[in-house]
Amino acid sequence: MADIKEKANNAFRFDGNWQDFAKIAFPNLLLTIVTLGIYRFWATTRERQYLWSHTSFVDERLEWTGEGRELFFGFLIVAIILGIPFVILQFIASGMIFRGMQDYVLVMGIILFLASWYLSGVARFRAMRYRLSRTRWRGIRGGSDNPGFVYGWSYFWRWLVGILPVGLLIPWTMTSLWNERWREMSFGPYQVESDAEPAPIYKRFLLFYVPLLLLIPMGIAFQSADLEGGAGAVVAISAIVLVLFIYFGMPLLSVAFYAKFFREAVHTMRWGDVEFSFRARTSDWIVLYLVDFLLISATFGLAYIFIPYRHWKFYVEHMHAEGEIDLDAMTQSQTATARHGEGLLDAFDMGAI
Amino acid sequence: MEESFRTPAQWYDGHSAVRHEGDALWDGARQLALRSTSSNLDIALGELVFAEERGGQRVYRWSGDDDFRLILPADLPAGLAAALPSRRKYGAWVDGLGLGKATVLFAGVSAGLLALFFTAPDWLGPRIPTSWERSMGDALVGDFGNRICHTPEGDAALAKLLAKVDPAEEKVRAGIANSTDVNAVALPGGQILIFDGLVQEAETPEELAGVLGHEVGHVRERHVMTALLRQFGLTVLLSGMNTGIGDTLFGLAAMDYSRDAEREADEYSRARMLESGISPTGAAEFFERLSARIDYDEDSLLGWAASHPGPGERAEAYREAAEGRTFTPVLTEQEFGALKTMCEEDEDVEVMQSIV
Repeated sequence: MADIKEKANNAFRFDGNWQDFAKIAFPNLLLTIVTLGIYRFWATTRERQYLWSHTSFVDERLEWTGEGRELFFGFLIVAIILGIPFVILQFIASGMIFRGMQDYVLVMGIILFLASWYLSGVARFRAMRYRLSRTRWRGIRGGSDNPGFVYGWSYFWRWLVGILPVGLLIPWTMTSLWNERWREMSFGPYQVESDAEPAPIYKRFLLFYVPLLLLIPMGIAFQSADLEGGAGAVVAISAIVLVLFIYFGMPLLSVAFYAKFFREAVHTMRWGDVEFSFRARTSDWIVLYLVDFLLISATFGLAYIFIPYRHWKFYVEHMHAEGEIDLDAMTQSQTATARHGEGLLDAFDMGAI
Repeated sequence: MEESFRTPAQWYDGHSAVRHEGDALWDGARQLALRSTSSNLDIALGELVFAEERGGQRVYRWSGDDDFRLILPADLPAGLAAALPSRRKYGAWVDGLGLGKATVLFAGVSAGLLALFFTAPDWLGPRIPTSWERSMGDALVGDFGNRICHTPEGDAALAKLLAKVDPAEEKVRAGIANSTDVNAVALPGGQILIFDGLVQEAETPEELAGVLGHEVGHVRERHVMTALLRQFGLTVLLSGMNTGIGDTLFGLAAMDYSRDAEREADEYSRARMLESGISPTGAAEFFERLSARIDYDEDSLLGWAASHPGPGERAEAYREAAEGRTFTPVLTEQEFGALKTMCEEDEDVEVMQSIV
């Protein structure tokens, strides 16, 4: 058969609706409650099946092939290899405190903290690998042959280097980790390429430091040691502005920064001859989160079960792809498939896409 | 061939992304023939596995090749529809029972498990041999690494006091910890710690006897083991429901006794004091004094003065026990003095940091 070249323009579509999703989400909630939470692995699977199958790329729907029992076994494995030692360590720690060995307990706590830092990197990687390996399009799946243990170290030291110089290298941490993670992923025969650069997102990132400038007038005012008069007013006003910034400015700035980061990062990604872009602006993200918040508060938390739906829809509707796909050359992925699900990610409570 | 045995079909062979579009021809028995210009395949119906239903289509997998996908319209000829594997919705167990029945069954099992879970410490705790509890306690808390005050006179006074409130052959182990906390604890393994801060607060040996008797009561009534089991169970349960291991709190500091256990320990203490002719009035005053000046904290094993029955009610019970009786002093002035100065005079004892 000859090469089929398809124009993939505005390639992603979502045609689900919340009423249908509700028919999945409410029984899920019920079953999760009556099984003391154990059903949640099957619940997640059913939700993903719905979301994936109502998402089309070019002319075919995605298929989620993950199973509840994979996630369940993944959870069990993590519970055994991490949970049990953790509980035992807790016992040892309280025993050591009673024996007056506080210093060793502190060291143990630091080691545990560093270990979970490393493991959370591994977890992110493995969750992405699992999700790609369980995603099919036209019968073809994705995946990675990398188990993610090396990525865990990258995650560890790049965040350390990013944070140490008062956080100034965080944009580099984020873009370089994004690249490293995605470059290990493939779908069908094509490796994902990603060349995100920190430079374009620095302008927004530096805005986080602007309020620090307020500390200068505050410092001068303190120096003058005349807090009764004008200097006191300077300190008070600066303090108020600082507090306002922490409560309102920071969250808004975080959204603005993340919106920019996500657009930049997706924009540099290629898969075969397909290029991607993500077109959500800061205002779109703010609306997303604001409506989340309003829905959840208006329903006393019940609307929480619709959050996966809303966020998936948001990602799909703002994702664009352009390019050509040679369907004949698009052969099955040869990557190894992870047999169990996202246990590690689950254990560290990171559900983000 | 009849129309009822033919249906349009799409399939992916799993080797490339090329879609094959053609017809699925059913032989009326167990075989499905897929025919298109690009691909011909024969598949046994028994090897098809239902994958999902989506927008008017049904997707089937094939046990012969994990990558293969067959897509048929949802409105199939009735005969073929019956021959194909049935839809799965919630998962094998729930689908087999139906959502309603499964919910009731799961809820019943869960309720039973929870009931077992919450009552188990109460009946299991007292049945665990004391020797096990002792080894467990030794592993958990050990010997406190030289943070217990010792002087020959003080040790003798404490032993005398203990003998009055713990008449059993094998005594519980009690010590005065070098800490300024105003507190006392009964720890796993039948170890009792009275913190020096509390000793300094006491004005008469009877006051200390009340506290010591109460802690002995916790040990003798097996409250420590019960609380330990409950705490351990909660840790496991919470880590099962909430997967964030970071949220799981385990620590002796989080352990607590029930109000009933506190009342039982008080009753034990009063009974022993009366047997030994110790006045409970001192204890009553001590409780009132302590509760007046100690901030009420959460109920906690280590928050001795906090977790107990209302201070007024409690002092009342002790006073009633004292009515119409005469008592002899439990310790001499010198003995009580030796207890008070024990930590000061023990030269190589180390300071116990606050453990709460």
